[in-house]
Amino acid sequence: MERSGGIAAAPARQGFAALVRAAIDPATVLAAVRDASAGGNVLFLGTARSMTAGVATRALEYDAHESLAAATLDALRQTAIARFGLTASAVVHRLGHVPVGEAAVAVATSGPHRAEAFAAAEWLMAEIKRQVPIWKGEDRGGGRIEWQHPESAPRPGGGP
Amino acid sequence: MQPAPPPPDATTLHVAVFAGMAELVGGRRLALDWSGGSVDDLRQLVARRHPEVAALLARSAVAVDGRYAADGDPVGSGADVAIIPPVSGG
Repeated sequence: MERSGGIAAAPARQGFAALVRAAIDPATVLAAVRDASAGGNVLFLGTARSMTAGVATRALEYDAHESLAAATLDALRQTAIARFGLTASAVVHRLGHVPVGEAAVAVATSGPHRAEAFAAAEWLMAEIKRQVPIWKGEDRGGGRIEWQHPESAPRPGGGP
Repeated sequence: MQPAPPPPDATTLHVAVFAGMAELVGGRRLALDWSGGSVDDLRQLVARRHPEVAALLARSAVAVDGRYAADGDPVGSGADVAIIPPVSGG
């Protein structure tokens, strides 16, 4: 897995999962799921937005338990292939500093038809937000990062 | 109250912390005197040594050697331990 630069790892045939610390190249993520047998191809980008709940955000910072996050992303990606009958799926999450307007996460899915590709991309994003050990911090200026640990979130790992 | 001295067979256990918990303790890992015990024992020790993280710790999972652990699971002196607070990726 490439952690320090862009997406340098050669995609596996059914896609790949990666954590990166540089800008995500959407074309590379989409290319990793293209296949002659797939008629539906979905690419989702989650980008850093400029306002959250009426407060201006200058940038986002992401922290992670890297080994557990990478393993969880890959497990989710493979589960999505089996659960939705996908041809391939690829997931990339950026860590560190993410300027407003740039992608923090990219999910690509492909399948024989569009319905399973759309459904799988939505499922993957929901599960990534629910269970991958990655944390978002909002830089609202003033030199302090507001780390997000939602009160409503279940304890990670499904523990008691 | 002064903390009790560590038992003679204690070794240093390093516990990785992230995001808001790292900010609260001012670093990315805790060094604790540890002579073995359960995840729950470790939770109690962390809360005593770092009361500033107690509230967030109660909402956090504990990963031991790369897997989420239950409160009754053992934590050996050489374990790779991380505290995983509620996540917010994506």
